Amino acid sequence: MTGEANVWGERDDRGRRRACILIAEPEPGERRPGGPSLAFALASLADPADDLAPAIESVTTWSACIDRCRRGPVDLVVIDEALGREAEEIVARLRRGAPELIVLQRGTGDGAALAWFRRGASECVAADRDLAALRHAARERLERARARRPGGAEDLPDARGILQHLGSALVIVDEEGAIAFANPAAERTLGLSREALHGRRFRDLLIEATEPASLGGEAASAHGLESRAGEARVLRPDGHAVPIALTWGPIVGANGAPTGAVAVFQDVSLTQEWRSHALQTEKMASIGQLAAGVAHEINNPMGFIHANLFQMTEYVTDLRQVWSRVEGLLKAIGGDRSLVERAAGELAGAVEEADVGFLLQDLAKAIRESQEGSERIRHIVQDLRDFSHQDTGERVLADINQCLDSTANIVWPMMKHLVVLSKNYGELPPVPCYPMQLKQVFMNLLVNAYQAIEESSARDGRIGTVTLATVAIEDGVRVEISDTGAGIAREHLDRIFDPFFTTKKVGAGTGLGLSTSFNIVRRHGGTLSVDSEPGRGTTFCLQLPLLREEIGSRSA
Amino acid sequence: MSDVRRPVVLLVDDEPRILSALHRTLRREGYELLTAETTQEALRLVDAGPVDCVLSDHKMPGMTGLELLERVASRRPETRRMLITGWNVEIDRDELARLGVLAVLSKPWDDAELKATLRAAVDA
Repeated sequence: MTGEANVWGERDDRGRRRACILIAEPEPGERRPGGPSLAFALASLADPADDLAPAIESVTTWSACIDRCRRGPVDLVVIDEALGREAEEIVARLRRGAPELIVLQRGTGDGAALAWFRRGASECVAADRDLAALRHAARERLERARARRPGGAEDLPDARGILQHLGSALVIVDEEGAIAFANPAAERTLGLSREALHGRRFRDLLIEATEPASLGGEAASAHGLESRAGEARVLRPDGHAVPIALTWGPIVGANGAPTGAVAVFQDVSLTQEWRSHALQTEKMASIGQLAAGVAHEINNPMGFIHANLFQMTEYVTDLRQVWSRVEGLLKAIGGDRSLVERAAGELAGAVEEADVGFLLQDLAKAIRESQEGSERIRHIVQDLRDFSHQDTGERVLADINQCLDSTANIVWPMMKHLVVLSKNYGELPPVPCYPMQLKQVFMNLLVNAYQAIEESSARDGRIGTVTLATVAIEDGVRVEISDTGAGIAREHLDRIFDPFFTTKKVGAGTGLGLSTSFNIVRRHGGTLSVDSEPGRGTTFCLQLPLLREEIGSRSA
Repeated sequence: MSDVRRPVVLLVDDEPRILSALHRTLRREGYELLTAETTQEALRLVDAGPVDCVLSDHKMPGMTGLELLERVASRRPETRRMLITGWNVEIDRDELARLGVLAVLSKPWDDAELKATLRAAVDA
């Protein structure tokens, strides 16, 4: 029991820490007449929480004892009074506190015990025949010592109690994947009582698990011993399918082989609701940005049409003044000559004052310009209508060039002051798709391209180019959207399709644009990839198949 | 007309129809009106002779109206400066104050408001 192996702090194969008892006695391991040795008596003191026998070491001198206590914490020192002066020295130097000090009294007498207490002993016990008093005291003292230990899993007061009140659902399955334990949160989430759950295969309660195979004990050995995380849905008896996020890992037995698995999971319906809300927010953010561009595009013609109408009203008023003089002259004609001359003079004055020649010329110009402005507005509205044509629930054969072009028309007003747009459309076969969803992807990519140019332009003041290229490939089409903007940093490149990843300013993006785009393209059975060089620009490449196979809608 | 010099107002917008409409609106207000479709042209006109007031669009290719007005301010601090914008862009109020921009009008503009604001700026 003694020796170097039992250094305090040693943990067993399950990571639990052993308590450490140090025995100070004249002859370590010596059996006492008619009874066990001290070490033997104490070794049977199992730690109440986890049945782990304490590590026991022996010393014979106070200096060795103090030295050992300095090397690493000791929970309890049992001092045999038979050590005499050495015993007194140990108690005096360690005093009360950590470790706990029990003095084993050889003689009897309360006076002696009092003296030990004064020196600093925690407790004095008589060395009775089977050391029962010592064991009782040692157990209590170990409890106290353990309460003072820094926290660790082995210090949990009552693991079962914790599991009962744990907010997360926890299920333990055996080697066959059958449920051996389920806490109340698990009962709630799974919609079944503990009794109903007991013995059922956990796997059978789930649908759409991301890694269903490894949810049983059999998988723990096949997949190694690491923990895993995934998503699934619980099919409750009431027919509700509840989305959960779960982590699970093997439970390893004494021989190091898995004996089952533990799964911790949580109902994430609220999280998913929030995520879909965020998706909607992203859509609204894009629409807001577009709306600003479109509003600007409409506002310019509106601005001059509005002003022109106002001015034309003034012109008409001026011309009416002139016309009233004309009427005056017409009335005067045939009458008194001097009246005719006066009316003619007034007319000439009015014509000059109103600058009728200019008015008529400019009136025609103002009308022409306003007509052109209203034509522009009509086009913008037409573009909006083309762009926002809603998808029916089914795929339709669509012209990808047209989808891309109508999207570009919508985004164009927003970017035109900074961007040269170059279009290189190839001849494409019709593609079975959800056109509105693809337009959303194109819009995301175009807005990103514009923002990348905005960023680089803020630095060098240069205008950028966005190139749209489409080409027919074997069994599909390829769309490339390139910009000459700021580019994407290498360290961000493999994260840009992650949900909520964004490098934009707070409020400028939700970080869902590209992940949404990625998912839409994947739903079409296509691919979306990126190539970027910081300072040079970025190209997004989107490939869509002509196949009609539904991909991604494989709900069981 | 008297021999007093008429105030010179420079209108800047990349949209010629806007310039045309502004010109129409202001033609009988007693100003000498200049127009520029680019910021470069605007700066050339500012350099060429006295300009009492610049009324510029904000969102233009190459340079924003605010940037243009900043340059105007550094060349001719006495020139009054105003913005007219169709896009509801966030323009920092502190920035406007720093650059001494007297007013920001929005498109479509109100004729009476435009005339009054311009008059106040020129007389300032």
